Amino acid sequence: MAIVVEAVNLKKTYMLGKVSVEALRGVNLKVKEGEFISILGPSGSGKSTLLNLIGALDKPTEGKIFIDNVDISTLKENELADLRRKVGFVFQFFNLIPRFTALENVELPMAIAGLGKDERRRRAAELLEVVGLADRMNHKPTELSGGEQQRVAIARALTNNPRFLLMDEPTGNIDSKNACEIIQLIKRLNREKGVTIIMVTHDQQLAAEADRTAYMLDGLIVKETVNRV
Amino acid sequence: MKPNDIFSYAFSAIKLRKLRSGLTTLGIVIGIAAIVALLSITQGLQVAIASQLQRGFATDTLIVSAGGGFGVMTDSGFSLLVNDTETISQLENVTAVSAVIQRIGYLKTPTGQTIRVTIVGVDFAAYREIYSSIFVAEDGIIPLSPESDAVVVGKRISDPWSNGTLHCRAGDTVEIIWTNAATRPLRNESYIGKVVGVLQEIGGFSLGGPSDNSIYIPISKAQTFFKTDKCDTILVKMKSDDKVTIESTAKAIRNLFGGMVTVTSATAVLNIISNVFSTIEIFLAGIAAISLFVAGIGIMNIMIVSLMERTREIGILKALGMKNRTVLLIFLCEAAIIGLLGSIIGVGAGLGLAEVAIRVYDVSGFGHQGGQAGSISIAPVLTPQVLLGAIAFGLLVSVVFALYPAWRASKLKPVEALRYE
Repeated sequence: MAIVVEAVNLKKTYMLGKVSVEALRGVNLKVKEGEFISILGPSGSGKSTLLNLIGALDKPTEGKIFIDNVDISTLKENELADLRRKVGFVFQFFNLIPRFTALENVELPMAIAGLGKDERRRRAAELLEVVGLADRMNHKPTELSGGEQQRVAIARALTNNPRFLLMDEPTGNIDSKNACEIIQLIKRLNREKGVTIIMVTHDQQLAAEADRTAYMLDGLIVKETVNRV
Repeated sequence: MKPNDIFSYAFSAIKLRKLRSGLTTLGIVIGIAAIVALLSITQGLQVAIASQLQRGFATDTLIVSAGGGFGVMTDSGFSLLVNDTETISQLENVTAVSAVIQRIGYLKTPTGQTIRVTIVGVDFAAYREIYSSIFVAEDGIIPLSPESDAVVVGKRISDPWSNGTLHCRAGDTVEIIWTNAATRPLRNESYIGKVVGVLQEIGGFSLGGPSDNSIYIPISKAQTFFKTDKCDTILVKMKSDDKVTIESTAKAIRNLFGGMVTVTSATAVLNIISNVFSTIEIFLAGIAAISLFVAGIGIMNIMIVSLMERTREIGILKALGMKNRTVLLIFLCEAAIIGLLGSIIGVGAGLGLAEVAIRVYDVSGFGHQGGQAGSISIAPVLTPQVLLGAIAFGLLVSVVFALYPAWRASKLKPVEALRYE
């Protein structure tokens, strides 16, 4: 299997006022195509920072990140924007645009990529059907439950056929019943559609649903376990 | 992102904050309306005055006056004489010449009214040729070889209120009175004249040409009545009004009198007036532009507030792959929509404002009658240049003031924007 993401000796230092905080202290990680990996760790362990760096939302202080063997730390602003179109993000707080309907939210990445209206509308409808929201397409986020909003966010992340999905506590803000449905959806996408998934969580049970789990503590990956082969 | 998608995204953001966007647009509307109203009134006034002047001031005519122009006396003691018309008429390109003697006096009408008038002594035949379109009798005739007691009266003398109450008409006998200031004690000179014609209405005012408030007597009578051979001005009509003819004739006349005269062409006066109006226009537009400047600051303000409110949204857009340039364009597009909408409404409001202002001006009694101001009809003039210029200016101000907030939005770091609460 090809390596989709590779982090080499990744370091990230933040300045909090005059105090520097080492969020990542030399992380090494490889993710293969089609893999479902979870990154587990307590709050402040650096897992979200790692996810942001892999998704090209932030730049490392030191070290390299390869996506499809391209070192993204050398890319310019515009190239990074292009790269983000190949990554599907799912955030803990959904991050949907409140004034848009579910359908319009799913269309948005395709509009940004320059797709025509008819094509993106058709594809957005298809994806909403995949996540089980065919009958809620024209509802705005405020009219949807947390679970439904996260499904919209997942559909949106899938629009541009991403190389991988980055999920930051995808069930962190929804009730357990909906969380269960979301995790089933994620697993189905991974198994049936072969989508590579990198999921950050502090929930051990949820982390165990992935093929592999990397444990983070104080800015380092301290242990890796394989949950299933 | 495609241009139409950028537009609809920007439009959806404006629609979300209807009241705030509406108030910002109102700022632009007021700014553009002020500019358009002031410019269209000024241009309307300019057109009205220029057309009046062109009527009362034929473009193929030169006005010759002693010294400083328009009869202003100089210390040289030089004066134009009525006989000088003969010398001038010998010049090339000259077709008609009339001396003009002008005094303020009184006219006693058959109805017993004594009206203050300008008494103008002219050569009826030449004057008629020079002002063929306006020195025309509505009642009676203007004789080419008038009797010495012949009087032609302006429309306002005969019919001062435009309501048919006539003070005099053709055929009436009137008394013409002039106070001779050269004698001591002052003496009122007078003679009985016969109204041979009443001029049709000329309207407005004229420099050197016929007017509604004057009476006209033969030049020879003026010489004897005013006891002078000196004239105030000499009017010269030329074969054509092209620049070469005007300049060569003017030069020839100046040479004739050794540079002691001022020769003014109608075209030159019109140019001066046009220049004066241009300066006034720039001044007024400048004042109005201040309000647009304030509106621009309003746009900047709303954009900065919008930027702060939408920081997280910008973070989402960037996480979804939107480029900095597109974020910049979305913000500029929002400002452009507000600017364009405000400018278009502003142009309409400005024209409405100009109409109302002109009506208020008329109704408040400045005008002699409805639709006329000082008996000049003014209609707001909106040239395509002003129309397009105002819209472009409104658009430009909006976009320029949005540049800074748009630039700031485009430079937001995605990870920080997403963290913004």
